[in-house]
Order: sequence, then C-alpha cells, then structure tokens
Amino acid sequence: MEFIVQTNNLTKRFGKHTAVSAINLKIRKGEVYGFLGPNGAGKSTTIRMLLGLMKPTYGSIRIFNEDLNKNRIKILKQVGSLVENPSYYPHLTAYENLEALRKILGAPKSRIEEVLAIVRLSDVANKKVKSFSLGMKQRLGIAAALLHSPKLLILDEPTNGLDPNGIIEMRNLIRRLPKEYDMTVLISSHILSEIDQIATSVGVISKGSLIFQGPIEEMRKKANPKIRITVNEPQLAYQSLLANGIQVDSQNQHLYLSEQTDNEVAKAVKCLIKNDFSVYRVEEEKQSLEDIFLQMTKEGNLQ
Amino acid sequence: MIGKLLQADFIKIKRKGFWLLSFLGAFGVVGLQIVNYSLRYDWLIQQSDDKWLYYLYNVHSFTAMALVLGIVILTSLIASVEDETNAWKQLIALPVSKMTVYLSKFTVLATLLFISSTLLAIFTFSYGLFLDLGEPVPYIEILKFSFYPYCASLPILAFHLWIATVSRNQGIPITFGVIGCIATYLAYVLPDWVIWKWPTLMNDWNDPLMNVWLGIGFGILLYFIGMFDFIRRDVK
Ligand SMILES: Nc1ncnc2c1ncn2[C@@H]1O[C@H](COP(=O)(O)OP(=O)(O)OP(=O)(O)O)[C@@H](O)[C@H]1O
Ligand SMILES: [Mg+2]
Repeated sequence: MEFIVQTNNLTKRFGKHTAVSAINLKIRKGEVYGFLGPNGAGKSTTIRMLLGLMKPTYGSIRIFNEDLNKNRIKILKQVGSLVENPSYYPHLTAYENLEALRKILGAPKSRIEEVLAIVRLSDVANKKVKSFSLGMKQRLGIAAALLHSPKLLILDEPTNGLDPNGIIEMRNLIRRLPKEYDMTVLISSHILSEIDQIATSVGVISKGSLIFQGPIEEMRKKANPKIRITVNEPQLAYQSLLANGIQVDSQNQHLYLSEQTDNEVAKAVKCLIKNDFSVYRVEEEKQSLEDIFLQMTKEGNLQ
Repeated sequence: MIGKLLQADFIKIKRKGFWLLSFLGAFGVVGLQIVNYSLRYDWLIQQSDDKWLYYLYNVHSFTAMALVLGIVILTSLIASVEDETNAWKQLIALPVSKMTVYLSKFTVLATLLFISSTLLAIFTFSYGLFLDLGEPVPYIEILKFSFYPYCASLPILAFHLWIATVSRNQGIPITFGVIGCIATYLAYVLPDWVIWKWPTLMNDWNDPLMNVWLGIGFGILLYFIGMFDFIRRDVK
C-alpha cells in the first residue's frame, strides 16, 4: 500500500508536558484524511512537525516515502499548507502576497491568476489584504497553499472562524481537490460534522494519542445502537422487566435494553404485554457520528 | 535559492517605510550640519585650517547614533513584517532552508544600510561643495567617514537581527535598542570592547581601521551565532 504520509511513534514534548504521544499516522494517496480532536489535543503540533516547523522529540516522519529529516526541502516542494490562523502580509495586495511566495516556489506567473480564480478572489486581487474579511484571508491562505500545485495539501482548521456559508464553500473547494488536481489532503478540525462529508478516512487524536484511525465507515460501525421502548407506565414496567430477569435501563421515561439480539427484544416485548403494559414504540436509537466522536474523546486514552 | 528569497523579501518590505528610513537616516545626519552651518557659518568656518576635515568631523558626530538607531528600527521592522500574522510558519513551510531565510533577511538590511551609507557620502560631498570648503576635496576621507562606521556597526546589526527574529515580541529588541543608543551617545567614556562604541570609530589606538576589522570579524561571528540559534529553535 502506498502511503503519502506515514509517521512512526511521532512524539513531541514541551518540557514535561507531552503534546503528541507516539502517533502512527497513515495517509493513503488520494484520500481526504480528517484529523480530528478537541482543542489542545495536539493537532497543530503534529502538523507543525509534518512541515518541519517543529522538531519531533522522538519518532520519524516519512512523506512521499522519503525521510522528512533528510529530504525536507525536496518533500516540501510538493506540499502546500495552511497552519492555524492564516498568515499574510496585510500591507500587500492579494496579488503581491502570492507573488512573494511564488518567487520562492518558482511557480509560473500565470499560476497566481489561476489560484485566485480557484478561491474566487480574482476581483480583489489588487486590494490590500488588511481590508479582507476573515473568510477572504482564509481563502487567500488556500490559494497560497495551491500555488505550486502540490501533491499533498495540509490544512489546519481551515474552517476556523468562518460563517456557515464560508464553511460550505470551503468544504466544496476541498472536496474537488483530490479528483480535479490529483491531491491528497490532510485536514484537521475539532468538529466532526465539519468534515464528515468530505473525509474518506479519519484519525482521532485526544490528549496527544491517536485513538482511532481508519475509513469513516468503520467509525460509524463503532456506534452501538440502543433499543428504546416506550410504554404507558415506565417505572412499573422497568421493575417488572427486572423481576423477570431482563437487563434494562430506565431513562427519561424510556426503557433501554442492554441486550439487543432479536431474541432478547422479543422476550422483553412479550413480557411487557403479558403483564398488561401498553407498548407504544420499540425503536432502534442510532448514535450519531458526532456522539461517537465525543464519546471517543471523552474516553480519551482508555481506547 | 537566496536570489529568490531576496526578491520575495524586497516585495515584502514595500510600503513599510524601509526605503524612506534609509534615505532619512543619511539625510538627517547631513541635514543637522545644514542647520548648523546655516546658523553659524562664519564662526564654524574659522575653527580650523582644514575646513573640509572639520566639516567631516561635524557630520561624523551624528553618524554612529543614526546607524545604531537605524539598525534597531530596521531589524524590528523586518521581524514585525513576519511576526504580524505569524507568517514565519508559512515562510518556513516553503521549500527553503532556515539558513537561507536568515541570510536573506540579513542581506536585505545590510543592503539598505549600505545604500544609506552611500547616500551619506553623496550628501556629505554635495553640501561640502555647496559650502565651498576649498580645494582639494578629500574624496578618500569622505568615503572613510561614510563606510567605516558601516563596517564597524555590523556586529550590532547581527546582534539585533538575532534578538529581533527569535523574540516573541519586539519589547526585548527595543530595550536593547535604547541601551545601545545610550551607549553610543556615551561612547567616549566606554571601554573599547563595547560594540556600540565601534561605529564612532574611537579607540585607544586612534586607528579607525581597527574598528572596521573588528566590526567585520565580530559581525561574522555574531551573524553565525544568531543564525544557528534561529535554525535550532522551533518556528514561532
Ligand atoms: N510552543 C509550545 N510550547 C508549549 N506548549 C505548547 C506549545 N505548542 C502547543 N503546546 C501545548 O501542546 C498541546 C497541544 O496543542 P496543539 O496546538 O497541538 O493543539 P490542537 O489540537 O491544535 O488544538 P486546537 O484545536 O485548540 O488548535 C496544548 O496543550 C498546548 O498547550
Ligand atoms: Mg490547532
């Protein structure tokens, strides 16, 4: 299998505090990899190490199958990035900002117009960036990251601070990239719902440890659905079920079955009817992906 | 690589007052003598038989201060261009070595100061001619008074670029800047090893060339110390 990014026990300590703890990222070609974790989980720290902005305390990084430590410049020629808040030179126009970066990257001049068009900033190319809205600055950051047509795009919370429209727009843009430009994308976020529609794989980081990594469908499987039963006398029904040896929870006037096999459900329903309770509803309650994510990060390192 | 970075850096310093400051530094030093000679020409012109040399000393009395002040402002300014939106992380995530990034910043500043020194020579010469200080015109002396202080101030440039680029805010560099300006002002009472004394070209041997060689030597040394510290650190 061809991995575009692969880390081996990547670790970063700040003094005694371990911000990133022995993580093994595996990102395949053509993926949109969602890198998820709550605030302070270590996403930015990991991304900074992937770009050579920070030296790992321990562990190694391979990008395009080359050692980042040895071939940093060669690797970065094919990596576009946006780390944390967008960086720009406010006293320069959008065009000049990109021109300064283009000089260093050695991209053709025509590329500036192209990337400005991709992020829809062509109209304001000659306006100073200090007058831009946050969304425009963020888009300029993306344009800068796309300048040299990178094979790997690393975006750290690119939707941070954007309004709902801006988020949708950014999402649509990122979704297009792998197909249209043959890119692999790593995108971090602390909100799952922001990226679950575009990510093909996810990595969940919590307190510095990678607690899940895999296709997003696999994460959905982690959901444990519950059977919820609604009856006329929940308290009495609860006691009656327990008395008949059926494992059950009572919450908010609903009954939740602990065992969910067809057999168990049938047994519980039969028992209720036999004891003259009115059964209004028997439903399967699915956990949303967000719930799974929250539960995962709450459990933290427990796995 | 360094060529591309330099081009980028010269784009970035647009509209930030770098060029104006380089001009004003040189113009200010000669401008003070324009005021001085306009106010009391008759008295000043009689102070020495060598009217040119006397004039050059007058000009030179403000050169060191202007240089030190200029270095403090320019280094802080160039660091603040990257600090403002923390563009260091964007810059260093590009396929460039940190060593070249640092070299480029230093080269930009050294170039601006060199231009400033050249302007100083031109302004000094022009106003000297205007004052009609007599023949022969001491071309060599004019050049010495313009470029010796430049060479002698290189350690201060290297030192300030170092602290301006590694400090998280510009408070520390500005504090050192104030101390440096006071030290330059009081140079005549300070021992020779204080680097802020060097641009004044004063020393116990009465040999200005000494400050030039010391400046270049220690400039290179401090440059490398600063550069390696910059490389060693995680990006801000
Ligand atoms: N330069 C630093 N020095 C000391 N501690 C740091 C430094 N950078 C990050 N940390 C700490 O490392 C931990 C992880 O930070 P990081 O910025 O990687 O989190 P994050 O997942 O990006 O969070 P967020 O969603 O808030 O951006 C935090 O506890 C933070 O305080
Ligand atoms: Mg972060």
